[in-house]
Amino acid sequence: MERWALVSGLGGDLEVYEQIQRELKKSRGLERLFVLGDLIGPRHNSDALLKRLQEPERGDLQPECIYGWWEEQLLAERGYRGERTAEALRINHGNDAVEGLLTSVDSGHMTWLASLQFGFIELDCALLHGSSADVGDELKPTSSPLILLDRLTRLDVNRLFTARSAQQFRLDLNGGAIDSHIKDLNGEQNQQQAAPKRSVIGIGSGELFSLYAPGSDHIEFLKAGGKPVSRGLGFG
Amino acid sequence: MAHAVISCLHANLAAVEAVLDDIDQQGIETITCLGDLVGYGPQPNEVVELVRQRAIPTCQGCWDEDIIDGLNACECSYPSQLAERRGHLAHQWTEAKMTEDNKAFLASLPTSLRRDKLLFVHGSPNSQHEYLLPDMNAFAALERVETAGAETLFCGHTHQPYVRELRGGSIRVRVQHHDSSSSEEQEMTLPMRRIVNAGSVGEPRHGNTQATYVIHDEATGDLTIREVNYDVAKTCQAIIDAGLPEVFAWRLSHGFEYAERADDASHVCER
Ligand SMILES: [Zn+2]
Ligand SMILES: [Zn+2]
Repeated sequence: MERWALVSGLGGDLEVYEQIQRELKKSRGLERLFVLGDLIGPRHNSDALLKRLQEPERGDLQPECIYGWWEEQLLAERGYRGERTAEALRINHGNDAVEGLLTSVDSGHMTWLASLQFGFIELDCALLHGSSADVGDELKPTSSPLILLDRLTRLDVNRLFTARSAQQFRLDLNGGAIDSHIKDLNGEQNQQQAAPKRSVIGIGSGELFSLYAPGSDHIEFLKAGGKPVSRGLGFG
Repeated sequence: MAHAVISCLHANLAAVEAVLDDIDQQGIETITCLGDLVGYGPQPNEVVELVRQRAIPTCQGCWDEDIIDGLNACECSYPSQLAERRGHLAHQWTEAKMTEDNKAFLASLPTSLRRDKLLFVHGSPNSQHEYLLPDMNAFAALERVETAGAETLFCGHTHQPYVRELRGGSIRVRVQHHDSSSSEEQEMTLPMRRIVNAGSVGEPRHGNTQATYVIHDEATGDLTIREVNYDVAKTCQAIIDAGLPEVFAWRLSHGFEYAERADDASHVCER
């Protein structure tokens, strides 16, 4: 049965990535590894990790990467996003953080980083860093269900995998309904609409990662170097 | 107290004058305009000057934005490719015709206006270019109003007036955290919210040639869609005299229905 490994928030930490790769090697049936952004970050020099992602070692599960919030900041600051700069980073963490980010990534990696996509659509699943609205959109278990439903509806997917909040969770929208009364110049009309059954899944960040089996809709939350955080969260 | 909401004037002076007369005759003093003062029609300066002279609070429409920022809009600015081609001609004509002062006025307009729990926008709270069609997914429609912190959302842009009430909503949610093996299902009750589309004064597309706008009585909550007759032939002649695409005159004289509907109504503007 096909299974996916979902990783994010490595923040330039090659050691964590190597640890995850070691554990994935032991795990059977894994077919794909998705790295959902924040490959780089302010705490580590990211060059070694970026090199490894672009040139996997023998035995590595081939990573499929998208860009995240930190890449977006770097790409903006280095002129890859039109007029925009790393404004969000500057406002939240100051100019030193922007300088730190610039020195943590060799400019030779920029072309590759700029080629990364916003997200992947696989089967009926969207694999994103933030959400379909924005790379910085933080979806959490406490987010308004209306917002979560909107983010799912925008891409018309049944599962949305997100990493930006760094949390591991699964939130199932299990139905519901709403009445809509419309009046226009032709008259009045009532409709009832059912809420679709869809899910938002937080995959974690850094050493917290997840395994997903699209066939059985089974998610497993893991911690690199540790025991599974939980098992068997399948709501089929 | 009753107030009137108008949208999509589209440089049609005769229609704007007729609607303002209709509002005045009812003794309504508060008017809010949801933008698209220009585009398609032959009197962009005259309409902008009338709105300025009457000091009508106005938000910026998709056309107002494009005249200022150029046509860098997402493809959803136009409901279809055919509409887009015609729209470009009208854009160039309007851009050339407008005074710098009137353009500066359009540039100064806010994207939304708020009065207590009433929110006024052109397209949606997300974008001047997003269409909130009456048959949009009800949960998505409610999300637009709720996320914007409003109880009643007034919008335009579709040129089809409607009043939509979203009520009795609920969503069942089950959350599983990484560290707990149990999960509980909860039912969330959703608030009642309204979306009111003011239609179009100067470019109606609801299947009739009359200009449309809405009146909201805040005391009773009543919402009335008004239809107003105006001298359609006069504006049509001015469109032809100005050398604008004749199809705009044809559309005004038919109240063009359906053909200008969005190709993809579910398109979400990411501009
Ligand atoms: Zn309009
Ligand atoms: Zn518009």
